[in-house]
Amino acid sequence: MKGFLAGLKLEMRIIRSGPDALLPLFTAPLFTIIFLAIVRNGGRHDLQPDALMAPVLMTLWWFALFQGGNLITGDRWQGILEWALAAPTGFASVILGRVAAIMAFGFIGFFEVWGVGELVFGVGIPFEHPLELVLTIVATMFAMAGTAVVFAALFVLTRNAYTFTNSASFPFYVLGGVFVPIAILPGWIQPLSSVIFMSWSADLLRGSLKPEHIHDFWGRLGMVILLGAVSFAIGRAVLALVLRRMRVTGELATA
Amino acid sequence: MTALASTANVMRHAFAAGIADYRAIFTWRSWVFGWMVRVVAQVSFFGLIGLRVADDRSAFYLLIGNALAVAAQAGIFSLNMTTTERWAGTLPLLVASPTSPVIVFASRGAYLAVDGALSAVLAIFIAGPLFGLHLPWPRVLAVIPLTGLVALSAYCLGTFLAGLVFRFREINGLVVNTTYVGLMAACGVNVPLSYYPQAIEWLAHGLPLTNGLLAIREVFQGDAVGSILGHAGAEALVGAAWLTLALLTFNRLASRGRLDGSLDYGA
Repeated sequence: MKGFLAGLKLEMRIIRSGPDALLPLFTAPLFTIIFLAIVRNGGRHDLQPDALMAPVLMTLWWFALFQGGNLITGDRWQGILEWALAAPTGFASVILGRVAAIMAFGFIGFFEVWGVGELVFGVGIPFEHPLELVLTIVATMFAMAGTAVVFAALFVLTRNAYTFTNSASFPFYVLGGVFVPIAILPGWIQPLSSVIFMSWSADLLRGSLKPEHIHDFWGRLGMVILLGAVSFAIGRAVLALVLRRMRVTGELATA
Repeated sequence: MTALASTANVMRHAFAAGIADYRAIFTWRSWVFGWMVRVVAQVSFFGLIGLRVADDRSAFYLLIGNALAVAAQAGIFSLNMTTTERWAGTLPLLVASPTSPVIVFASRGAYLAVDGALSAVLAIFIAGPLFGLHLPWPRVLAVIPLTGLVALSAYCLGTFLAGLVFRFREINGLVVNTTYVGLMAACGVNVPLSYYPQAIEWLAHGLPLTNGLLAIREVFQGDAVGSILGHAGAEALVGAAWLTLALLTFNRLASRGRLDGSLDYGA
């Protein structure tokens, strides 16, 4: 727990000290305006909740991908990875604390989107199923955190994570059904989408803002949690493997 | 060597250095399977929204708008040039050299405009047919130079902004991303300009992308050549205006860093 809290505090300070890290909190209001303008211009006011949830998911994804993904690579560049690993506190708990801080910052996007919707278009978040909404958000943040750990582990392996981070936004927004449900996508893509937790999250988030009954809520929420847990397990395993390899080859601080 | 020949020589070398930078970042495989996949996904994302909101027509509108936004986006990436130089430790050397830094920066990042135009054109020609967008031959060829014009115009705005954030490089990424998403919001990419209040419409005409995009939409609609050329001319004027501003301000803003020694370590 001590390591977790230390990681949490450390990441809070890192993010606060670098305005670039807060980038998605600046683009989320703009995406909210874009999406709401599209659906309102098309006369589809029924899609306003969808237009509000898309930037929330995009903001969380961005934090997981860029901030979470570069956690360990950043430590390595600064030459502090050896010290972090040599410390008696478990490295995994520190990383977990840092990822939790990242997700907490990402969650600010929810309130931002809500505020911009109200301020610019007079459109608030309709809390039709508040309990389901809260549970879905918590599960989504859990799964996002798991994904961030996977990215953090994988990015250490790559020589140039920049290419991947720049390329992994919109393909996942499409596959994850961030705005458009995956049912609209071509049939051959749908199996791929169904193993991406965001597709389950996005459907549930949209459903919890609409008056209709949410079909099979618990089963679908379980899928978000399951896919998140799988991400955590994969991330932890890859990380352990990568760090062990770097220790053996003496490549902790060097490429 | 005359001053003009000397400047041209610097520009040539700076452009070659930019290309070398880009080749260090991307291999052809990572460009095709990384960057281009992202671009096609980005355009398709909005095309799918169009399909969901209304119909094919709405999808085509969003598809063309967002493909052109990619050209502008890459042009705005020129803002990253100053940060790259700082990381490489070459920023003070550039500012201290007898050549104007704006000439070097404008030339070194010019490959971004080429990259942006190429990405946007490919996005139209790949994602367009996927959505059933008709590409009227041979009129559609006019899209290529017009896209180049948009990329160049956005690049000029990016170079101007690079001067502004010269000493505040910690907010570089912030400015890059908010600028291009701002262009997506204001320049008629996703909704017609008339949707917004008139003040925003006027402002949008002073930004890159707006006029060039109007020209390209007219190419697809089969409108009169005169009208298309009028919008293209407006886009060129906007780009020229931003470039003039960049030339007037960049060196002055950069020289402040020399005065207070903040080029390497400034905020």
